[in-house]
Amino acid sequence: MTLAPSQSNTMRTVPRRRWPSAAVWVTVAVILAVHVLAWQATEFSPAALIAGWEGMADFLAESLPPDLSVLGKSLEAAVITLYIGLLGTTFSIPSALVLALLASRATTSAAWAQQAARAVLSFLRSVPDVVFALIFVTAVGLGPFAGVLALVFHNTGVMGKLWAEAMDESDRGPRDALRVTGASGPQIALHAVLPTVLPSLAGLLLYRLDVNVRSSLVLGLVGAGGIGFLINQSIKLFRFDEMVTHILVVLLLVVVVDQASALVRKRLGA
Amino acid sequence: MLAVRGLRKSFGGRTVLDGFDLRVEPGEFVALLGPNGSGKSTALRCVVGLETPDGGEIDVSGNAAMVFQKIHLVGRRTALDNVCSGALGRLPLRRSLFCPHDVRDEAMRCLDRVGLADRALDRCARLSGGQQQRVAIARALCQRASVILADEPVSALDPQAAVQVMELLVDLAGEGMTVVAVLHQPELARNYAHRIVEMVAQ
Repeated sequence: MTLAPSQSNTMRTVPRRRWPSAAVWVTVAVILAVHVLAWQATEFSPAALIAGWEGMADFLAESLPPDLSVLGKSLEAAVITLYIGLLGTTFSIPSALVLALLASRATTSAAWAQQAARAVLSFLRSVPDVVFALIFVTAVGLGPFAGVLALVFHNTGVMGKLWAEAMDESDRGPRDALRVTGASGPQIALHAVLPTVLPSLAGLLLYRLDVNVRSSLVLGLVGAGGIGFLINQSIKLFRFDEMVTHILVVLLLVVVVDQASALVRKRLGA
Repeated sequence: MLAVRGLRKSFGGRTVLDGFDLRVEPGEFVALLGPNGSGKSTALRCVVGLETPDGGEIDVSGNAAMVFQKIHLVGRRTALDNVCSGALGRLPLRRSLFCPHDVRDEAMRCLDRVGLADRALDRCARLSGGQQQRVAIARALCQRASVILADEPVSALDPQAAVQVMELLVDLAGEGMTVVAVLHQPELARNYAHRIVEMVAQ
């Protein structure tokens, strides 16, 4: 097929460049204004950073070389941190699964049940794990147990939502096919939805394990045990050389967990 | 036996079925032909309850099963598991977590009926399209269906596999089942169906 040139000559003129509309300018102005406000509210000041460089230099001088005599203690605490992340993830599987099944439109047809489950998930997700940790520290005292509880609650919210979304995206066909056989909702969830989405759920679980191990570091800072707790102690005692050792161990931990979870996820193809 | 009288269905103001009648006796294989939008699939989906008709009567003696163009098996599960799931409708929830022994026996016989007993433990995703469609028919048999509704069962299959599936459907009608298939290839309909029903777009 050949394209004929336009009939009239006036059509040949190049269209003029169009300037952005007023709405674009207003949007840009609003975004700029919000950034100015944020700059002021956060007391953002590069000058202060430059003026205070000596403090940072002292800190670095004190922290180097790292004090490797605490390495054994540090590694032990890193394992605790890993355990907090592990139990926090594993123990949230049942609650996340139940809530995800209720929240997904692939497995629940009652709108009120979906809404209720989604509301619970949103609540759990919107309360940061650090806040849960502070609450549980008042109940079970300082230590790793409070950290595990905090992760179980927050992770139920996040993982439940991710799982529900994975179920939502599952193919409708096998569900319809089972509905024709007379299968009930729970039977369809069990025999069509879950077998289909299992690799995605496992991939998301590993991703959350990865995130939760890193979160449990921060939980340690508020007293929930593990290597975060040691970092906090070192800072309070001005033992910055110890702190650097702990941070190097953290780096190792994060890299190892990250690589391991990426490897398994790749094998799962999720 | 399948009897449909005065079936009506519209989607958002667009009428797809306006007083559709169909009567198919046991042992009969009827092919539905017609252009896109003539309501062939919709009629079948109304019979099995995947769509709610706006009006009309549907009368099915026994159990109606459906076979789909896109087959709709769970690809990650074995052929046997997929066939077992045909029995879910008559199993209580507590017995359906794992397929009970008697159902597995029955499912195995259904797979044997479609000639795939030797692939029982293969994941469905590893089977060819024609084999998958035969597993789907075995699932319908495990549902103890007396009526099989097939919505373009061979449109996604290569010619040899299509012939195998069509011969299977004819055989099942010969054994006394009621079979209705939406087809897009008139020559397949002429070669295999006992009767052809032409539908027109509304």
